[in-house]
Amino acid sequence: MRRADTQVERIAYPAGFGLLVLLLWEIAVRVFEISPALLPPPTAIGAAIMGSLPILWEDWVQTVVKGALNGLWMGSAAGIAVALVIDRYDFLKRGLLPVANFMAALPIVGLAPIMVMWFGFDWQSKAAVVAIMVFFPMLVNTLGGLASTDTMQRDLMRTYAAGHVATLVKLRIPAALPFVFNGLKIATTLALIGAIVAEYFGSPIRGMGFRITTEMGRLATDMVWAEITISALTGTALYGLVALIEKRVTFWHPSQRG
Amino acid sequence: MKKLLTSAIALAAMTAGAQAADELTLQLKWVTQAQFGGYYVALEKGFYEAADLDVTIKPGGPDVAPVQVLLGGGADVMVDWMPSALAARENGAPVVNIAQPFKASGMMLTCLKESGITGPEDFAGKTLGVWFYGNEYPFLSWMSQLGLSTEGGDDGVEVLKQGFNVDPLLQKQAACISTMTYNEYWQVIDAGISADDLITFKYEDQGVATLEDGLYVLESTLEDDAMKDKLARFVAASMEGWKWAEQNPEEAAMIVLEYDETGAQTEGHQIRMMGEVAKLTAGSNGALDPVDYARTVASLMSGGSDPVITAEPTGAFTTEITDMAMK
Repeated sequence: MRRADTQVERIAYPAGFGLLVLLLWEIAVRVFEISPALLPPPTAIGAAIMGSLPILWEDWVQTVVKGALNGLWMGSAAGIAVALVIDRYDFLKRGLLPVANFMAALPIVGLAPIMVMWFGFDWQSKAAVVAIMVFFPMLVNTLGGLASTDTMQRDLMRTYAAGHVATLVKLRIPAALPFVFNGLKIATTLALIGAIVAEYFGSPIRGMGFRITTEMGRLATDMVWAEITISALTGTALYGLVALIEKRVTFWHPSQRG
Repeated sequence: MKKLLTSAIALAAMTAGAQAADELTLQLKWVTQAQFGGYYVALEKGFYEAADLDVTIKPGGPDVAPVQVLLGGGADVMVDWMPSALAARENGAPVVNIAQPFKASGMMLTCLKESGITGPEDFAGKTLGVWFYGNEYPFLSWMSQLGLSTEGGDDGVEVLKQGFNVDPLLQKQAACISTMTYNEYWQVIDAGISADDLITFKYEDQGVATLEDGLYVLESTLEDDAMKDKLARFVAASMEGWKWAEQNPEEAAMIVLEYDETGAQTEGHQIRMMGEVAKLTAGSNGALDPVDYARTVASLMSGGSDPVITAEPTGAFTTEITDMAMK
């Protein structure tokens, strides 16, 4: 019988381990005299973050707020909407789903330059890449969710004389929510990667992806790691935010009992 | 008896073969193309072999930073442009120029005439495409000398990070793009834009040229006399290759094509490239001209608020290797 960890312990363990890793990293760089161009010590990365806050902020707004989040809401909304339509009309399921499958297989490195050609160099083309990337996981998860009610529940709705829309709103969409949130968790991660990588293929002179490639070219690896740190923190925060909303919205679902 | 004799000869040949040539790895700045014709000629024509060298040439690409390959021990020598090499040096990578096969710069801005640009004074308010990843420095120092901000607006220029293609100009997303005289300019021409519709600004003509393809090694490599001797033989043989390529551009281009494992290069483009590259190597015997070096450094340090390098570099080049090579 283990006692459950308290709130403090739950945070203290990973924080402690994280600090230990940073400490070992710092020691290793100093002891083995690793060139800062190959691996900068955490202290140098911290100094780079503190010393270039305005630049990091500008890059963050460009990549995360304009590129990733815009693409995320557009792609997610489209994915959910298409799922609802496909769910209603069976022939679309047979025709549209394979097309969506094909879109999921498009490699980002092929897609990004084409989007730059269509939508220009600024955040619009990055948002387009992200939207295409997140569309498919949202579509598949929503479809899976809509199919997750069992026959008994649907029969019960029929005995109430509920039509397609009423069944959808009162039973099937609520039942699909945990799946939708699952898709959203995947989508946030994809959105961040997509927005950063899309900037490698032409961008204005701001943005996290732009900064990473440029600073790598001049071997300013402390700045590269600073951007990586910011993107990791952003990714974790976005994931946490989605998880928090999910907890609030789907508190009734068995997966939320803990 | 006869059998014994032949095996003895074979054995002798084998031991002679075991006296292996000195191995050396060269990391190129970009993909296999006529820009590096001299090295491929030296390899194919046996100039390296004659200097008792076993040279491996590693092509680069958009995701290869030559300095990192050098630091990681993946190569002994790299081809790099001086601006990125000096910037890397300031960031703690101890790279040193040992030879400078390219005397002149092949970089230029290529603009559409319809954008209304007739001279550098018309750049303000326009969108210009620039390569980054270490190739942006000559452009940034030129703009700062023109007194143009790169933050956009009416009295600055809007800068786009262009990929390694000429689409922004074809799509009219930029008024001008960065091109090399020997490569991208011809891609624009091949895309069906007539030379009469274009106006070009060579960095050489604008007085803002910085040194391009040079040979660099790590400082630690130069501490060893045997290594220095090896490098001197390598530089001499490479320059022999370059001079041969200048004399025989068509044949040199065909040699490059043979070594292009991607199959992406075409004959016509490579022959044209070799001809243009020959103009850039023509003025060099391999030795770095201190005057060119000083001009490059001055250009990089004049970057206004954000200079490429903040301090005058020391020990960033040595003439020792080329002096040995010329003996």
